[in-house]
Amino acid sequence: MQEVNVKGPRDKFFKEIENVRHPNETLVKTHCSYCGMQCGMNLRVNTKTNKIIGVEPRYDWPVTVGKMCPKGVTAYQQTNHPDRILKPLIRDDASLKGTQQGFREASWDEAYDLIAKKFIELQEQYGKDTLSVFSGVSMTNEKCYLTGKFARVALGTRYIDYNGRFCMSSAAGGFLRSFGVDRGSTLPWTDIHETDCLFIAGSNTAECHPTSMFRVWNVQERGGYIIVADPRETPIARRADVHLDLRPGTDLALANGIVNLLIQNGYVDEVFVSSHTNGFEETKELVKEFTPEYTSQITGVAPEKIIRAAEIYGMAPNAVVMFARGIEQQHKGVDNVSGYTNMALVTGKIGRPKSGVATFTGQGNGQGGREHGQKSDLLPGYRKITNPKHVQEVCQVWGITPEEMPQPGVSAYEMFELMEQKTIRGLYLLCSNPAVSAPNQNFVRKALKGLDFMVCSDFYLSESAEFADVILPSVTWSEDEGTVTNIEGRIIKINKAQEPLGESKPDWQIQAELAEYLGRGKYFSHLKTARDVADEFRLASKGGYADYYGATWDKIEKQDGVFWPCRDENDPGTPHMFLDKKFYHPDGKAKICALPYRPPAEEPDVEYPLRLTTGRVVYHYLSGNQTRRIQFLRDMCPEPYVEVHPETAAKYMIEHEEYVRLYTRRGEAEYKVKITEAIRKDTVFVPYHFGHDKSINLLTIAALDPISRMPEFKACAAQIEKLDRTEVQ
Amino acid sequence: MVKKRLYLELENCIGCRSCLAACTQCGGHEQRNRNYVYDVNPLVNRQTMPLMCLHCVNPACARSCPAQAIQIHETGAVLSALVEKCIGCQNCTIACPYGIPKFDTEQNLMYKCDLCIDRTKDGIPPMCASVCPSNTLQWLTDEEIEAKQKQFNLDNGKWVTSMPYLEGETNVRVNLPGILQGVTKLF
Repeated sequence: MQEVNVKGPRDKFFKEIENVRHPNETLVKTHCSYCGMQCGMNLRVNTKTNKIIGVEPRYDWPVTVGKMCPKGVTAYQQTNHPDRILKPLIRDDASLKGTQQGFREASWDEAYDLIAKKFIELQEQYGKDTLSVFSGVSMTNEKCYLTGKFARVALGTRYIDYNGRFCMSSAAGGFLRSFGVDRGSTLPWTDIHETDCLFIAGSNTAECHPTSMFRVWNVQERGGYIIVADPRETPIARRADVHLDLRPGTDLALANGIVNLLIQNGYVDEVFVSSHTNGFEETKELVKEFTPEYTSQITGVAPEKIIRAAEIYGMAPNAVVMFARGIEQQHKGVDNVSGYTNMALVTGKIGRPKSGVATFTGQGNGQGGREHGQKSDLLPGYRKITNPKHVQEVCQVWGITPEEMPQPGVSAYEMFELMEQKTIRGLYLLCSNPAVSAPNQNFVRKALKGLDFMVCSDFYLSESAEFADVILPSVTWSEDEGTVTNIEGRIIKINKAQEPLGESKPDWQIQAELAEYLGRGKYFSHLKTARDVADEFRLASKGGYADYYGATWDKIEKQDGVFWPCRDENDPGTPHMFLDKKFYHPDGKAKICALPYRPPAEEPDVEYPLRLTTGRVVYHYLSGNQTRRIQFLRDMCPEPYVEVHPETAAKYMIEHEEYVRLYTRRGEAEYKVKITEAIRKDTVFVPYHFGHDKSINLLTIAALDPISRMPEFKACAAQIEKLDRTEVQ
Repeated sequence: MVKKRLYLELENCIGCRSCLAACTQCGGHEQRNRNYVYDVNPLVNRQTMPLMCLHCVNPACARSCPAQAIQIHETGAVLSALVEKCIGCQNCTIACPYGIPKFDTEQNLMYKCDLCIDRTKDGIPPMCASVCPSNTLQWLTDEEIEAKQKQFNLDNGKWVTSMPYLEGETNVRVNLPGILQGVTKLF
């Protein structure tokens, strides 16, 4: 009984099931390496070879109860993959940059020596800020935390940013503006199936967060409703009660249109709005214009669908508004987030169980990784680098003076602009593959190629590593331990199942050792284990609003994770946000935002009449550097394709499976055509997981959101040229 | 041990093919997947459906086997061909009304879903139903299946979602697409 209480309630999907135990095998409890769902899994380890050999479901993980998508099932195959980089690699001939050629194996000592020499030379000649750090959030909080410290303390540069700018930064910006706090979900995932209405915008949930689906479908099985806003009839949209098939990049108009109907039709929670929010009147005034007809003109969605969607959401006793990159990867991504969040705020469907707002976190640690100082303007605990008090608090933990703390830098894409302008001449890249994932690839690849010196830390030779002078072999998630903050804001524990392969090392160790070579060893030399980093990190977050201080590894183990904020030893954490109806703005109120509509940065015209949008497939993760190497996943989706509606295809006289040239003002690529009625006639879709000349980001636009600096991956203008062939050339 | 069965709710399938990936991970499956997921209407929409061995009570595959290579386990699972008995005649692949048995031409050997017998003989769900993210594949007691079929029982001349069996009697139970047609909305 005691055990059950400590771990919180189990829902109806939880079943006590024993795992299969094969002879000479041990099971290591951990979570998946990929998306924000962080599905529980057991890694099967051979006790004779001490190597990971397979996967076994983790039925006892309350969020996913053993379920895994095909990426999760095959994730273990990354660890002992033949493509692993096993020793540091150095390339002496810089003319080979941008290719896989010219690398030779080296010792760690030689690699560190070379990096320190080059970094110090560059900084002596061009100043501290000539170096940059580009990081990612598919790694533990401990690594994310230390990367921020490494940039500021070991390198002393202002230029650090991370791939969350291409992922979660708009959600962060929108939540901060609406709630004053950025926790991706205001409620635990075990609430999702108990709500009465899910309003899901810009999320291909079935492919990008598949293990949410048994909860999503259960809403309908109980008689509840699913409303989906998406330009494509995704697997979830196919079964939705209402599918709002909007034009890419018009979400804000749809959100305003629905908020207008909620207000006009009496679904406003007057008491909640007057006691706990600001901005209602102003918003009411602004959205008046967004009648169903006007909203329909902008979005292309039939007025009766908009009316029905608003009616369902308004009537639902409990409802959750959910969204993902579809609305966030726009140059008004932050406005879209606040716009849809307005639905929950005007109706008061927030701050109670089974109702709230959630974003589907894209990367494994998209939540935790953005809170602890990898962002150009943030310090651990979601502190601001521009706030002297915050700087003072962090300096105390780090043992530096506030004068030594660098200024805020610039966002991810803007760092490439500074590289191109030679303001930045050196780069330390880890846990990311911007030579696939950044927009406007022709520009980004040129910027990477032009660097004086680049270090890349990765466990495979990624497309971005092809631009490096030195590659440092890092470990996969299964060869290190630490915490990750999942889609719910629940801090969970990743466990080590195998010793690092070859000479590979975890990034926190690489940074601590490299700091020594850079003459900054005294700030890092005490960090001998991942737990050492964890202890310092919890302390550094203490007092910030993303406070992890009370989330000890023991507590995470005992409670099946800890929801932040968790301020001290006795604090069990915070599964539901705002239950006291207190928001994080100074006056304790949430903000209902009046948001004027603006169209996408690039609208279709005569020359480029189609709307291009991008996204994921279920078989691949992010830039595909990991999943494209896994046989099963590669078999299922070996190459990208362009989805075209049959009527559009007829116009261009193109057929299923023929190759076409797709082009925009920025670039071009050739894709196999996939004909489907499950997409708008004015829109084409290409998945973004592929590199080199197959990368759709050769075509995408780098129009940035003014607040989140998120590029507009989801909408630009494109054209198709028929090639008359069915083979790749 | 309460008897449980594989239960399919085709309406839920999202086409992720996690069941196929997981099939390769069951210790006894030599990393080969043994079932199928089909696009129902490939050029039209994204509807998909799994096609799993239904483990017939009187299986055509076993009946058609001249070598008695296909055994039926006491749990009802219709096992993969015994390596030492299978003569590679492929009768079973033709006899099965659902096209389930696969054939390895190199080994001259039939192989098929054995319902992860190493797991299910001890009441542990098969790999496909363990991982299925959409609850298309579930591992349920007869009571749970009966409750499901009551809930979704519908034959209104347009939709038939719950039938006792598709053809002959099977150990696996199936609900066809359309279950939501019978759900009463909350509001």
